[in-house]
Amino acid sequence: MSLLPPPIGPVRPALLTRVTPVARLVAGLSWLVVSILTLDPTVPARLAVAAVLALVLWSGLPLRRIPGRLAPLGFAIVSLTVFSILLSGSNADRSLSALAELGPIRITAPAVSAGLAIGLRVVVIGLTTLLVFGPSDPTRMADSLVQQWHVPDRFAYGTLAAVRVAPFMAGDWTVISAARRLRGLQSGGVAGRIGDFGGKLMVMLVSAIRRAERLALAMDARGFDSGVRRTHFRELRVAPRDWLAIVVAWAVAAGALALSR
Amino acid sequence: MDTPPDDRPIREPQPIAGPDALAALKAPAVEAVGLVWTYAGRSRPALDGLTFRLEPGRVLLVLGPSGSGKSTLARALAGLVPHVLPGRWQGSLRIGDLAVAETPARLLGDRVGLVFQDPDSQLVMARVDDEVAFGLENRAWARTAMTRRVSEALHEVGLDGFESRGTNTLSGGEKQRLAIADVLAPRPSLLVFDEPTANLDPPGMHATLDRLATLAGRREHTIVLIEHRLEAALPLADDVLLIDEAGRQLAFAPAGAVGREAAALLGRSGAWVPRAWEGRGSGDAHGPSPAVGEAAARGKPRAARPVVLQASELRIDYPADESGEHRALDGVSLTAVAGERIALVGPNGAGKSTLLFALAGLLRPDRGSVALGALPRDGEPVEELRDPARLRATEVAARVGLVFQDPELGFVAGTAQSEVEASDRAALPRRTWAGGAAAAGVLDDFGLGHLADESPFRLSQGEQRRLSLAATAMRPPAVLLLDEPTFGLDRRGTQAVMRLLDRLRSGGQAQLLATHDPRLLSDCDRVVALDLGRIVFDGPPGRFLADPPYSPPEPWRDGATEAAGEATPK
Repeated sequence: MSLLPPPIGPVRPALLTRVTPVARLVAGLSWLVVSILTLDPTVPARLAVAAVLALVLWSGLPLRRIPGRLAPLGFAIVSLTVFSILLSGSNADRSLSALAELGPIRITAPAVSAGLAIGLRVVVIGLTTLLVFGPSDPTRMADSLVQQWHVPDRFAYGTLAAVRVAPFMAGDWTVISAARRLRGLQSGGVAGRIGDFGGKLMVMLVSAIRRAERLALAMDARGFDSGVRRTHFRELRVAPRDWLAIVVAWAVAAGALALSR
Repeated sequence: MDTPPDDRPIREPQPIAGPDALAALKAPAVEAVGLVWTYAGRSRPALDGLTFRLEPGRVLLVLGPSGSGKSTLARALAGLVPHVLPGRWQGSLRIGDLAVAETPARLLGDRVGLVFQDPDSQLVMARVDDEVAFGLENRAWARTAMTRRVSEALHEVGLDGFESRGTNTLSGGEKQRLAIADVLAPRPSLLVFDEPTANLDPPGMHATLDRLATLAGRREHTIVLIEHRLEAALPLADDVLLIDEAGRQLAFAPAGAVGREAAALLGRSGAWVPRAWEGRGSGDAHGPSPAVGEAAARGKPRAARPVVLQASELRIDYPADESGEHRALDGVSLTAVAGERIALVGPNGAGKSTLLFALAGLLRPDRGSVALGALPRDGEPVEELRDPARLRATEVAARVGLVFQDPELGFVAGTAQSEVEASDRAALPRRTWAGGAAAAGVLDDFGLGHLADESPFRLSQGEQRRLSLAATAMRPPAVLLLDEPTFGLDRRGTQAVMRLLDRLRSGGQAQLLATHDPRLLSDCDRVVALDLGRIVFDGPPGRFLADPPYSPPEPWRDGATEAAGEATPK
């Protein structure tokens, strides 16, 4: 039984679904690199706007599902921003005027700026990941990595198979938790909970390894990695639009950086 | 490399040119001579002296109890044993003119297709067409040939038009037919099926067996079938191979010519035995439990027994998906009295698991309520019915237990002994626990005494099931919910589980068994059938088996005839 959220699909055909996955990877990399290297919050802010535009206009993803998909990141974004602001070293610098002061807590403008930069960075990472991986299923990414970057089959398709069975691990987790609750075996206190978590993790790992062994055996039985050079059912070729996507993405990244000077 | 030549078995030998012609003409499809295989690290062989000869185009049904090495034989036929799994090989096994031990797995893979039991751990790809192509890519087929062959193979299993579907969106039966398409695609001459319907609900099983029958009828492939739905599988078989619990061959014979002695030995080994052989076999070859009809013997009539489970008007909605609103449960009401055993049946997706979770208080219903009683202790009256979701964990444990299909997921301890103790300790205030003597007693009662110090994760499937029952037996809950309690068990394992359930029930426990196994129904007081989240039948098993409320009913007929005479009259 599945207690999991439904997958983000279906994806309708759109500009980005026709860009080969590794091209999306190279394109998306520019935004990650730029937003990580800069300390100016306006740069990731501009990239975030660009990413939202691209998601809405060209990704083909169902827009209703996007906020839900990014929700887990929301906690990280908020807490990173708040703590970066509170713990910034520039708050202690008495030569800077405080924006707000509450007892021992003192917040300065550079602290807010640095905190926002960190939070917006995570926003860009989340949105870019969706743009890179969302528009096609993981199989195309594996095909693309194998055919265009010559990543070893065993690595690419092995990882792919692991991605396919990941939802079953979440199902296992539900059952493991339910079983323990019903047996009255939940410990109280922080130490008890950590212990419970470790125990559950161990059981899930045992189950995951058994599943992986069965899958590996099934793949072997179908002649995977048996020394023959594989052919490709779906041939992916790099087209001009792939180069265009890369150029546009890097240009946007450079533009966002240039505007902050 | 281009498309491999079409090397299907030659049913009526025709002259072939080339050096292999003579070998191909003479070779049987499969020939084993004194085959012995011992997995690395084991002292006892998994296969111990198999000798048989299967002619091209024939169907071999392999019968034997759990641990008889049936799956190991399947792996050997596909070359996984000895080329992937380590161990010691003796004797010989030939597929056509190839000796398995001396042939690289790659070459064997062109000849043999193997379908496993669990559909979810044999599909590799996210899309149906990629999935079928996977085996062809591995064998370096040209792309145009692949494209053609993928649709052909999907057509052969009745999955036309499924190319762009996601493999995770398929039903169990569709997944298993896809797995058959996967192995058909490279045109192997030998097809091996290792319990292909074990994980399926009746409709899925029906569809899969249907495909098997079609394949067998075409005679284009030699087929080795391991299957516990004997009444459906036996009519497909030309030959049968009987193996005992130690992997020793009991008999190899044409399906219609199995001797009385061999059938009796098979029954004694703990395996299910086909009904047609029963006269020749041991007396108790059928009926999971000797205690059939015992319901009436538990004294008080149903109306006089206290209610321990009351669910009224349960409704659980799952969030709407693309296909629209899916209502998991819709107005389900159910009452169980002390000592009552209810079978919960219905196709996958009917809401059985959802109902079990809701009854255990693990899912909050959107509407309706669940209330559970506790068993009387020392003559005290039954406590009032309470909502499990509002109770403390230890109070819940006294009222309801759930045994999952995969018992392993519920284990918490390092040894079988401490697994049973864990439930006891949890139920008691700190420092009042009296020690493990009682737990050791329960382990003995459940036939696990000799495994007390063994890790629960190292036990066999049947032993794990019994251990999870033993853990609940320490402090039996008033209501025990079981998800497929006999899944994957042979006759001996099934009988052992049902005997233990009988004992728990005699203490007043109510039991709700979600099951696809028609053999269990006659052992229940009532059958409740779910379909699309609603109860479509609630009545005695005899009436259910005579007229199942949903289609396709055929798979249930497997149990219908045998249960008709045994069903408890109400």
